[in-house]
Amino acid sequence: MLKHHKWKLFFVGMGANCVLLAGLAIADIKFWSEINWLDVLSEGGAAGLALVWLLLILHSRPAGRVTQFLSLGLSCVFIAGFQDCLDEFLRFPEASRWDHWVESGLMPIGLMLLTLGIYHWHKEQLSITEQLRKREQLFREHRGLDFTTNLNGADYLRKQLTQTLAAQDQATTTLALLLIDVDNFSEINRRYGHQQGDHLLQALGELILLNIRRQDLLCRYAGDRFALVLPNTGRLVAETIAREISAAVNNFAYKTHAQGESVFHSVSIGIALSNPEHNSMDNPAMLIERATLALLSSKEKRNHTIACAA
Amino acid sequence: MIAVINSTLSAARSTAEHYAPKPYYEIDTAFIAAQHWPLALIELALSRGVEEHKLLRGTGIFCEDIARNNLQLSPQQCFQLIHNVQKHSAQPDLSFLLGHRLLLDNTEAATVILANAHSLQDALDTLIAHPQLLSPFIAPRLSYEQNRLVIYWQDACGADSAQIFLLEMMATALSSLSRWQTGTSLPWQFYFTHSAPAYIEQYQVHLHTQCYSNSKVQFNAPVNAMAIERSHLHLPWKKSNPELATNARTAMTLNAPAMQQGFLAETYNYLHNNIQHAPNLEQTAADFSMSSASFKRKLKKHYSHFQAQYDLVRRDLAIKWLNQGGWTHEQVAQELHFYDAANLRRAFKKWTGKLPQAMAPLD
Repeated sequence: MLKHHKWKLFFVGMGANCVLLAGLAIADIKFWSEINWLDVLSEGGAAGLALVWLLLILHSRPAGRVTQFLSLGLSCVFIAGFQDCLDEFLRFPEASRWDHWVESGLMPIGLMLLTLGIYHWHKEQLSITEQLRKREQLFREHRGLDFTTNLNGADYLRKQLTQTLAAQDQATTTLALLLIDVDNFSEINRRYGHQQGDHLLQALGELILLNIRRQDLLCRYAGDRFALVLPNTGRLVAETIAREISAAVNNFAYKTHAQGESVFHSVSIGIALSNPEHNSMDNPAMLIERATLALLSSKEKRNHTIACAA
Repeated sequence: MIAVINSTLSAARSTAEHYAPKPYYEIDTAFIAAQHWPLALIELALSRGVEEHKLLRGTGIFCEDIARNNLQLSPQQCFQLIHNVQKHSAQPDLSFLLGHRLLLDNTEAATVILANAHSLQDALDTLIAHPQLLSPFIAPRLSYEQNRLVIYWQDACGADSAQIFLLEMMATALSSLSRWQTGTSLPWQFYFTHSAPAYIEQYQVHLHTQCYSNSKVQFNAPVNAMAIERSHLHLPWKKSNPELATNARTAMTLNAPAMQQGFLAETYNYLHNNIQHAPNLEQTAADFSMSSASFKRKLKKHYSHFQAQYDLVRRDLAIKWLNQGGWTHEQVAQELHFYDAANLRRAFKKWTGKLPQAMAPLD
């Protein structure tokens, strides 16, 4: 990412350099005894951290308005801090005022720009959150993100269920958990290779996302098993959604990369509902277990792809 | 170097039923074909975003070498590779994914014979016959107990921190193969000495285990093992290709690799079979044709020591004898060369965390 921002970094470096050269040109260097090392440490540290933030932001963000504000703001903060730190080593003549201007003028400007940047970042984040809505809710944890499907994993699901079940406590409605298992997935892996298997999982994840409501949450449980959380959903609606997902998958013609041939699939789905009367007794592990049991029984029947456990 | 023991010399020195050590391989013996599962692991890790230089750091493996010739790796290199994978990949499912393809996507002759066996029994017999080709790091040991067959897994050559990865891989490999061949998931039971990991869902999905369905997984178990009812051993495997198996057998006899065990596995065999002679370090070292100091050094190289191996054998025998019933603690203590039953109980508690009387059969 950093190579997109080399001009920004160049100007920050130039700015710091100019401040240093101008300082050296007009000011005298202080004696060792005059230097206050605590000030050097705190002011230098603040400038250093501003630089670290700048680098992290530039490294993680594509160019754009928000990046522009953030990097400009942090650059000003850094240069002001740098000048502040330089003060500790150089004795500026009383007559010169510009060093004060660099120090005290740039800092508020920088902080204003930074605030503006963070405000727009907040706007941007809201719209990204909206895009991620069916993939994450309530909280964000990038460490559990699955590499293949870009969905959250089982750990996230358990945490999410804990929170949702607790929130569900007052409500009278139930929460539905669907476990969706791809039939004969190992066969596909074996015939077309594992790369194809991974692509298929990714595609199926997207397909399921298209078929669920705004408030629903899809996670990848493990292997070829997806987990779908349907808040405030009763048995009938859950079964309808399960049937719709199953139908969508049945009609999805996945094209292999090598031959471009169509491969069709089916899924088995197990449904578990939380208990509205005894929500406090429901924990994520039990709910997942009930859904798994329903899934296994639907797999055994084979002709019925959906099974529901109360 | 594979140390070949002159068995006739050892045999002459010992009594008739004395078990003489057989040839073995060590942690630094290079004999594992790199283009089979090590390559599969490397490809898998690379496809999951692990960088190549991080993946191969400290292994002495170079990707170009694997493609170019019949590169052979030592267990040590493989353990380091697994260690790197665990360190740099956030996904805990690589061992399971590798297990799925270990026996089915492999062109190595021994694997082809195993995957195209005519029944589970046949497949397991192949596994036992070629441990150095099929499971070189954790040695399988078959034991027929009442109405079921138990496969015990034992560290063959100092796997250390790679052990859990290897156990997950082999358990998945065997259950995945049997599932593919029979078309249903067989009611395997799994026992692991490690405690339940955070990624328990991987065990559920890849090993098809659920707490109250017919297939179970038990953590913090006294042994690493998997078990199945004997009735499943002889069901015909329909997807096997006998022709492939025959061809592979011919290829195998041409190369004729001698049956070998890892150094720790062979030490275990020796101690297990000579338990009635109350084996000690000096005698064992002499039978392995080396000095006590060399034998100790070799054990240390495999992250073990004599007492640990001896206790492992005695633990397994104690569990076996107590489980089969009809033996008093005094008898077991005597057979295992304990001073008395109280000492046996104390040792047993140390090994398994339980007293012998609390030791229920694996279930």
